[in-house]
Amino acid sequence: MARSSTTSDVFNAIAEAHRREILDVLITGEKAVGAIVNDLSMSQPQVSKHLRVLSDVGLVKCRADGRRRFYRLDHEHLRPLHDWLEKYEQSWNGRLDRMDGYLSDLQRKDRTQ
Amino acid sequence: MTPNRNGAASIEYPSELEILLTRDFEAPIELVFDVLTKQEHVRKWFAPFEHQMTVCSIDLRVGGNYHMVFVTEDGTECSFRGTYVEVEPPTRTVETWLFEGWPDAEAVETVDLHETDGVTKMNLRLAFRDKAGRDHMTKTDGFEDSTNKMADYVRSLLDSKGTVSG
Repeated sequence: MARSSTTSDVFNAIAEAHRREILDVLITGEKAVGAIVNDLSMSQPQVSKHLRVLSDVGLVKCRADGRRRFYRLDHEHLRPLHDWLEKYEQSWNGRLDRMDGYLSDLQRKDRTQ
Repeated sequence: MTPNRNGAASIEYPSELEILLTRDFEAPIELVFDVLTKQEHVRKWFAPFEHQMTVCSIDLRVGGNYHMVFVTEDGTECSFRGTYVEVEPPTRTVETWLFEGWPDAEAVETVDLHETDGVTKMNLRLAFRDKAGRDHMTKTDGFEDSTNKMADYVRSLLDSKGTVSG
């Protein structure tokens, strides 16, 4: 499957601490941009920039009310991310178990030769 | 998701998010390194069943590429590929990591091995970085105990609205 140019770089989006702070602020519900700026130690342009990234990757949704913009978490997009992380960890735990068994087998074979 | 004895944890840094896996193997470090980096070995443990690995190509040198593909039980193809940035046998490899699937995820993977009294400890770190604020890689020390903060964090966001999880 080719990697599309509009890749959902969700991981890279939440790798940034300020964006995680913004997501945390939205846990209690929808907020206007001004309210988000007040809650965090960031300038409005910074907050807007980060909201744009979060919106691009689908982690937040925006609604306009007159001149004001309100943002909220998009739980639908968080769920697949959460599931992926879980699967990744489960896969690796299985892999490490197999690797462990394989290493034991190799050493046992060595000793009997 | 409960952390298990094998130790999965994550560490957060200002512009990066890491997943950390650790495991102890009762084997000498050189053997563990070989098992991790030689395709004839990797084929034997990477996928649940050997026949599920359709591609396993490893060119272990700085600038060399690796590519792993396996097919899951429901027929989904999972592809991992990347380029080696550091290769220091038998203690360390650093490679780019690209998972082709949903979501496309790009990271830097670091594998460190350390042997004490015949037991080799492996630390595998997957670091996701903020692309806008890309900076030089820094060595990281100090490992958290086994709680997966990244997954907990995402779960906390999901649970915030009282959404049914799991």
